[in-house]
Amino acid sequence: MALSRDAYKEFEGVVGMENISDDPVIQYAYRAPKITIILPSSTEEVQAVVRLCNKHKIPFKAQSTGWSFTPPNYDLLFLDLRRMNHIIEINEKNMYAVVEPYVISAELQAELFKRGLNCNIKGSGSTCTALALSGHGHMGITTSTGDRNDLATEWVTDEGEIVRLGTLGSSDEWFCGDGPGPSLRGILRSGGIITKQATKIYHWPGPTRFALEGASPRYTLPKVPPNMMVRYFSFPSIEKLVEAELKIGESEISYELMGFCPSMVSSNITTSNEEDFATLDRFTKDVQGPGFMVIIAGNFPEDFEYRRKVLEQIIKETGGKSLKVVEDPAVQSTLLFQCTRISASIRETFRAGGAFASILVQGQRYDMHVRWLEEAAEMKREMIRKGLVIADDGQQFGWAEEQGHLGHTEIFCRYNPYDAESLKAVKEWSEKVSQRGIDGCFAMPSSSVGMLPADVVGPRVSNYHLWFGEIKKAFDPNGIGENTGFSYAGKDTAGAHTPIYDRHSEEASAKH
Amino acid sequence: MGIEDYRGDIGMCCRCSACKHIPLQRVKGIEHSYACPSIARYNFHAYSGGGRLLIAREMLNSGFQYTDRLLDIVYNCQMCGACDISCKYAMDMEVLEPIYEFRIKCVEDGYTHPALDKVINSLRKQGTMVPAAKSKRGDWAAGLDLKDVTKEKVDVLYHVGCLTSYDKNMQKLAKATAKILQKAGVNFGIAGDAETCCGGRAYQMGYKEDFLNQAKKNMDMFKEAGIKTVVTSCADGYHAFKVLYDKYNLKGALEVLHITEYIDKLVKEGKLKLNKKVNMNVTYHDPCYLGRLSEPWIHWEGKRIPGYKFVFDPPKQYRRGTNGVYAPPRDVLASIPGVKLTEMDRIKEYAWCSGAGGGVNESNPEFARWTARQRLEEAESTGAQAIVTACPWGEKNFSEAIKESGSKLRVYDIVEVVEKAI
Repeated sequence: MALSRDAYKEFEGVVGMENISDDPVIQYAYRAPKITIILPSSTEEVQAVVRLCNKHKIPFKAQSTGWSFTPPNYDLLFLDLRRMNHIIEINEKNMYAVVEPYVISAELQAELFKRGLNCNIKGSGSTCTALALSGHGHMGITTSTGDRNDLATEWVTDEGEIVRLGTLGSSDEWFCGDGPGPSLRGILRSGGIITKQATKIYHWPGPTRFALEGASPRYTLPKVPPNMMVRYFSFPSIEKLVEAELKIGESEISYELMGFCPSMVSSNITTSNEEDFATLDRFTKDVQGPGFMVIIAGNFPEDFEYRRKVLEQIIKETGGKSLKVVEDPAVQSTLLFQCTRISASIRETFRAGGAFASILVQGQRYDMHVRWLEEAAEMKREMIRKGLVIADDGQQFGWAEEQGHLGHTEIFCRYNPYDAESLKAVKEWSEKVSQRGIDGCFAMPSSSVGMLPADVVGPRVSNYHLWFGEIKKAFDPNGIGENTGFSYAGKDTAGAHTPIYDRHSEEASAKH
Repeated sequence: MGIEDYRGDIGMCCRCSACKHIPLQRVKGIEHSYACPSIARYNFHAYSGGGRLLIAREMLNSGFQYTDRLLDIVYNCQMCGACDISCKYAMDMEVLEPIYEFRIKCVEDGYTHPALDKVINSLRKQGTMVPAAKSKRGDWAAGLDLKDVTKEKVDVLYHVGCLTSYDKNMQKLAKATAKILQKAGVNFGIAGDAETCCGGRAYQMGYKEDFLNQAKKNMDMFKEAGIKTVVTSCADGYHAFKVLYDKYNLKGALEVLHITEYIDKLVKEGKLKLNKKVNMNVTYHDPCYLGRLSEPWIHWEGKRIPGYKFVFDPPKQYRRGTNGVYAPPRDVLASIPGVKLTEMDRIKEYAWCSGAGGGVNESNPEFARWTARQRLEEAESTGAQAIVTACPWGEKNFSEAIKESGSKLRVYDIVEVVEKAI
């Protein structure tokens, strides 16, 4: 990076020489040839780094755990926050946990399980940050979704001011994100760096630890824990599936309602691609249409029995069909620990072909979103027929959040990122589906490949991007903070990244 | 075989960071959730399994440029394989093999570490990984009246290993092992001064040719002496004989057993009685090369099936650490009256490394000791009085870390505990 030696020395003075590097080899690992990487260990160090960035007009960007992410490929200072890895507090009485950015969800959840508590975990898996902001997860029917879970937040602005949001702004308490104290939750995505955040935590009726047996990758649970049950139901139509989801939400009987397609179920319970595809073939024959997986977790036997019976009634009323293989206690157990600890997302997404491209939307799952992504599924099936993407069932998926008041809907294509034809097809599909989302007034899409630029999407949504741009300018007068793509301040840099998959044709091993 | 053969695997890395943590299902809290000592100590992504693959990918595409930082990354890795196992919980791809090949390429291209060169010179001159050894390899056995396999026929060769043979503080392990085998009435012998290094640690350091030379020397000696079964108390030796010799088609029908497997067998067959009470609360450390990396080599040759899936014809079986030697040492400890075993948070396929492998002990002792201290702290958290291991290199590193830190924890090799019980 074009960082003067004098400036470099100043940054080094903040974090120590061990924790900053612009060596090309270090850059290779971040897939960004122009960046300087810095590893702050505290809020104060983050603040000092950001202030120096402002002093020298050096763009910067921060990363927590960086799942499937590479930094931008323009000159900047890249803050890798992995040294900020502490749980600051678990407050059982007020039901929140305060974490630094590099606490992963698996760590926080394990601590919470010991206390009969749980947290929301993003669908990308428990290797990702436990910060609340952003991220939808399988347990959303109970644990809601990322940006509904963030409470008080410690935030270093793009200018280097430490702002304490919510109750933290007026006290040392973390229990509320909106005050008494400043409430700026709506603009947190516009920049700055979150250094600590409180996240809501929830009741967990399951065991304090899953007593797993066996060795990786095939862990087993000898028996389904008491008062817990897993089922997968398929339905004759989308309408019936939606009806069942809504009834389950209304009755508040389910701990988790994950609208897995059969391919996601098979990915979770299998330990290799070959086993996965063979299992999916069997599943596909046994389902009657779209479906979901549901986890019932009772607090005591009578409670469990009540929930189980209500579920039985709902399924009867909606014509649901249970996937028999999931009734097997061994399969149930596996799905139970995989899908509450969210440890197999990588199996669901990357294992099959190496990459996936997703279109996702959060909000009102039913009617609009499901219908829109059903159209996307039809388009995807065409790609499957042409052999361009992994031949799974082609379905959209999603889940209810907050007992069905909100929802998340998504569809992805798994593909070989080194196959130019596949990549092109996936990109076109992504753009087409996104465009259809705004043209049909279905939703404002977010996609990982072929994302529509902010100045295409913005005018359809009250020019939000311009308003965000104004906010951005107010907080970042030097224009050096991250331009996230949610905001728009002259240029959209969201696409200026080197993909994790380079463009060289990669030949697989001929022999090992 | 070379790093080029792993392009496909390298390209599969999705930067999920699974390689940095133990398999997520095994995370028990905020403590002891990290898998890889290198990224835990140095923090830049480059020091993780995934980071190493991304560096390899860049260099495969743009050419290998050797810099001090690159070599720092390459040699500050214990080759413990934790990244490989965590990745393969979810993915079908090789991680440790390309990391091995990268290091081998460094050595082949002349980019070695001076401290490792010193060790390898010792290997070339004296057949040992313990430089400046003044005694002879078989001196430890003086007066024990052990059979010499080069002169007498035996059922079992006890391969002692470099550190146990030459390090005066570790020779107690050889003596304990011999005593145990004698007590069980095993017809065994040693090769004495004719024993030579297995080559395993040279391979970990990247000196593949030196490893192959040692492997050939050993197999020639075994053949000449009619050796069909080798028992060793060194985890690195066990891995070399069992896995690496097989990988390079040198093992033939040789039966290879670690001493923990053999003692377990002798106890279960009633040939060895562990009668004496040993009142001790212990925790057990799974050595990387006895645990997750000890699965038999899987010979496979095939091609990726063209298309969008990462699948092969014939299907590729992966070594995922599932079938390491986990039960025998635990069964042995369980069979000793008075021994109470309390497990650490990270065990078996997801055990934290002792720090002693991959040449780090020699090239960066501070990092080796740092890694050991992390493990000792984990051991202490169990309330155990002692940490028991099954590898002399690990025991030595633990002992030195204990000396530095002032920890009250004691460290034993498992044969020392067994010796107390007979």
